[in-house]
Amino acid sequence: MIEGKLVDLVPFEDDFAIHMETWMNEEAWFRARLWERREPHTEDDVKKFIEKMEKSERGALIGFQSKDGDPIGGVIFDHEWQRVRKADAMFFAGDTRYEGTDEHLDGLLMLLRYCFETRNLHRLDASALAFDEVRIDLLRRAGFVHEGTLRQHIRYDGDYVDVEMFGILAEDWPGYEQKVAALDLQPSGIEPKPKPEKKDDKETEAGEAKS
Amino acid sequence: MLEGLLVDLVPYGKAFTDLEHKWRNNDSSFFGSGGDRYFATRAMVRRHMERWAEERERGADDDVAFGIRTKDGEPIGFIGINWMVPYHRLAMLGAKIGEPEYWGGGYGTDALLLLLEYAFDWLDIHKAWLMTTTMNRRVMRQMEKVGFTLEAQQRRAALADGVWYDWLAYGLLREEWPGRAAVIERIGLRAREEV
Repeated sequence: MIEGKLVDLVPFEDDFAIHMETWMNEEAWFRARLWERREPHTEDDVKKFIEKMEKSERGALIGFQSKDGDPIGGVIFDHEWQRVRKADAMFFAGDTRYEGTDEHLDGLLMLLRYCFETRNLHRLDASALAFDEVRIDLLRRAGFVHEGTLRQHIRYDGDYVDVEMFGILAEDWPGYEQKVAALDLQPSGIEPKPKPEKKDDKETEAGEAKS
Repeated sequence: MLEGLLVDLVPYGKAFTDLEHKWRNNDSSFFGSGGDRYFATRAMVRRHMERWAEERERGADDDVAFGIRTKDGEPIGFIGINWMVPYHRLAMLGAKIGEPEYWGGGYGTDALLLLLEYAFDWLDIHKAWLMTTTMNRRVMRQMEKVGFTLEAQQRRAALADGVWYDWLAYGLLREEWPGRAAVIERIGLRAREEV
């Protein structure tokens, strides 16, 4: 775990995975994963995605949760390129109540902190659909620099949409503590979700009792 | 086969794959990879080509590979679609002239125009795009000449011989493509005269 101001980074365990089928079918997910094909995600798709990220040698899916342990979403670094020390940065507030809040922003800041201050990366890439103002605003506030526009790049709901390209260099990053102080992050006060019952608990317990 | 003025685009068969070892270890890969220097053994290259063949056999259809062959029949490089995204009708192009003596002679441009015609007219793509780095001045000039737009410049994203360069993204939309004949006319590309 890495503790931040409003959120903590934690392993993406079952308490996150249990929400993932909902999260991966939200509009916000498709906007965040703008390259991917629009299609419904079944429980099996979700499991495969999490497993793929667990096995990845060039990236990871990390959970971020509020200070009272409410799972908010995930941050991803992917396609890490060892020689150039760069990676793609991706983040999503699966719980859409947090969309655009300072917790969402802190999730992104924590990803930058981890990539620059722990993994020693030199540069991160990020992208956003041109109309996705929430995501663009978060990227800018985190310190990403706009580096161009891929024109009419993505098919989205009947139109070709521009993709805004962003990048941040280690030298652009003042450090997590300085960044958080400058942004004066404030908690949103969103109530934690009730913890869902785990589907397989009873079966597992019964199975264990037998053995 | 796609017939151009200086080159033809042909299947990327044995005549080309036999040269992969040479091309992977020379400057064409250094430029193509944004500054990497490979030490690729013959076995590594063979395994790579085998994996590629297996993927194609499994039905992967997100790439198209052509060999570039001169009118004299010499295999000089690769050009193709490295990443095709059908639902965005988007094609990311890639090319490599493996024989440096053919750099700067219009061979790559001729091949690119053939590929663009193929991608727009046969695959019905909406946009062609590609990425190169600021150390690859030849490709930057070629992009401008052919009519691509520089869309994004990723700062200090490539490292070559200890120097940081930028990655550049160039795009060409279908509505900006006037057709191969019109571009050939505009840039004055000509077949080599018979000696």
